[in-house]
Amino acid sequence: MNIQDYIESGKLELFLLGELNEREREEVLTLAKTYPEIQQELDALEEAMFAFDQATGPKPSNKVKDKIFASLDNEFQKEEKKTIEFKPTAPNQVKLGPWRGLAAAASLIAVLASAAAIFFASKFYDTEEKFTALLQDQQVMADNLNQVKLQYEETDSRLDRLVSGDFRRVEMKGEALPMQKDAKVDVFWDQKAQEVFVAVNNLNSLSSEFDYQLWAIGKDGPVGIGLVNPGEKFTLQQMQAVAEAGAFAITIEPKGGSKAPTLNKLVVLGEVVA
Amino acid sequence: MQEEEIIAGLRAHDRKTTEYLYEKYSRALFAVISRIISDQDIAEEVFHDAFIKITRKIDSYEESKGRLYTWMANICRNSAIDKLRSKEISKSGKTNTIDDFVYGLESQTGTQEFVDGIGVKELMDRLNPDQKFIIEYIYFKGYTHAEISEEFDIPLGTVKSRIRAALQVLKKNIDSI
Repeated sequence: MNIQDYIESGKLELFLLGELNEREREEVLTLAKTYPEIQQELDALEEAMFAFDQATGPKPSNKVKDKIFASLDNEFQKEEKKTIEFKPTAPNQVKLGPWRGLAAAASLIAVLASAAAIFFASKFYDTEEKFTALLQDQQVMADNLNQVKLQYEETDSRLDRLVSGDFRRVEMKGEALPMQKDAKVDVFWDQKAQEVFVAVNNLNSLSSEFDYQLWAIGKDGPVGIGLVNPGEKFTLQQMQAVAEAGAFAITIEPKGGSKAPTLNKLVVLGEVVA
Repeated sequence: MQEEEIIAGLRAHDRKTTEYLYEKYSRALFAVISRIISDQDIAEEVFHDAFIKITRKIDSYEESKGRLYTWMANICRNSAIDKLRSKEISKSGKTNTIDDFVYGLESQTGTQEFVDGIGVKELMDRLNPDQKFIIEYIYFKGYTHAEISEEFDIPLGTVKSRIRAALQVLKKNIDSI
């Protein structure tokens, strides 16, 4: 491995910005241990970032500092407080008649009973809340499962069609076009059954005002046969029926698609090989 | 104080160490936040919470996984980004730009800030437009490299090498500010 290339790749900067995943982090740490040049670069970058941070900010106000240390004060002093609590509070002994003692006991019991009531009421409330939350979770899981089932069934039936049908594959590429050089989408077309599927291999995502539209170009010119979702990669998306086409193409159109293709926004094009 | 001493002191909930940590790093850590959050009060609130989080999470910090400052700066950065995306701020819809920020520094009273502001401005002028763009989005608008790539349709590799180039410029010129 070329150490200099690794250093130049920008990975160390991303490491320091906290933007690498766990595996990449481990990789950087291991390499830094093995190659002193990498460790040196990491140290120098970290120092530069610290100096940059130090130079770009005003000091936080003293108000915040006081607030922070007030919040932390409790944590610094926690242990001391505990020992203090065990000291009995100054006994204030006043002689009471027996009835007074009874009254005191009764009111104490009343207070204890109320406290217990509040305690159990809040416990009951908590438990009920947890139960409701669990029910909701279960509902969400059931919904997800249903969705996955539906997706599976859909995929399965498409696969059946693909295997049993007489499909030919038409590769559409963006290489020769100015829009997206690395775009690639495959069309699967069964001419006899007039069925068309597309599978997105590589297609940039679009803002919400636009859609990708698939066109079958035949003798009568281009016919729009459906919208292609760029997010669903490597899955089959079913399009409308086509009996006759010499080529397929995708253009970017306003949301919902157009009647005729916007030719200066042609993204990929593929000819049907006879 | 060495880094190991600071870490040990923080883990023992030692007040002196915490004060030392604050004196040494509060300015830089607060900058990480206030670059992203322009409202001074909200920035200070986020800083308060992040600093407390640092002292509480110090037990889960692993020395072998990176230096203390980087760990703390990332906690601050993530807290700021979380806040930025919360409803509270997105309603007001204002994010920082480098120019606003430098202007803000300059307009503050206090000569220290004034001098630094000028320095930062000059530093920014040493970046070419691509590099300035990257620094603005990463440091002042709280974007990740992946988000920049996605939103502006710049290949990931290009974003990475521009981050690298921009930080190299900062690294080389940092002594002059």
